[in-house]
Amino acid sequence: MARMSSALFYQDPRAALAWLEKAFGLELTMLLEDADGNVAHSQMTLGDSMVMIGSEWSEDHQSPKSVGGKNTQTVSIQIDEDIDAHCARARAAGAIIYAEPETQFYGDRTYRCRDPEGHIWNVAQTVAVVSREEAEAATGLKITGWM
Amino acid sequence: MPRPAISPVIWYRDPRAALAWLEQAFGFQTSLVVDDGAGGVMHSETEVEGGVIMVVGPPRDSATTPIAAGGQVTQSVHVQLSEEIDAHCERARAAGAKIEREPQTQPYGDRVYTCLDLEGHPWSFGQTIQALTPGQMAAATGHDIATSL
Repeated sequence: MARMSSALFYQDPRAALAWLEKAFGLELTMLLEDADGNVAHSQMTLGDSMVMIGSEWSEDHQSPKSVGGKNTQTVSIQIDEDIDAHCARARAAGAIIYAEPETQFYGDRTYRCRDPEGHIWNVAQTVAVVSREEAEAATGLKITGWM
Repeated sequence: MPRPAISPVIWYRDPRAALAWLEQAFGFQTSLVVDDGAGGVMHSETEVEGGVIMVVGPPRDSATTPIAAGGQVTQSVHVQLSEEIDAHCERARAAGAKIEREPQTQPYGDRVYTCLDLEGHPWSFGQTIQALTPGQMAAATGHDIATSL
């Protein structure tokens, strides 16, 4: 059971459900619809985790598409294999890839994209185990704690 | 801890203050902070009950924080607690969380409260009081419930 779940707001949550399945392989596991067929609540799962896809249910809960592309939160997806194929699938579905897959100093290969309403998704795959000392030496950054 | 498949990433104007506040208010435990060399945080991980969030900031590019966006948000976070949700709410309130919905048991069997954190990010917390089947939930809420497209 997921302990921590992101809830994302969309102008068209039903389209988002279909797109997230096609682009990222998320699986719809719960959909609540009101009497008019509007999405009241939904859950999509990936492995041990889930996200909730909903509507712009108040003036304060908005899709990036409604607020000039801004994001107050984003979602990080951790996968086990073949991040380049994951990126290609997302691109084919219409994701805007704005950081192509690249191996980072901390040992993860990552890419970043926007979905059709402008939500930002970060996708990562661990490809090398890097020590904190190695990471600090490679970057000059100060690091507290480590994976 | 192995990372869950999906983790929320939350942008703050002052990510170090946020990490400290999340520990005090919600019981998070910070496990990793990567300084960006300019006083900000390029990556961090903080955990509660086996879930992890990443706290980063200050915002750049298209990222923002609710206090810089007139209180508007594009996502929220839900945390499922295993126990003591009322005490959790009191702890959050004492730390300065703005409680928007007081703890209340919902028709779908969870007790839930919602609040805003120190920069206005919305959080909801739930604890399952009574586990219901989708059919029981549908009857209790009046919504149609499907478990696939």
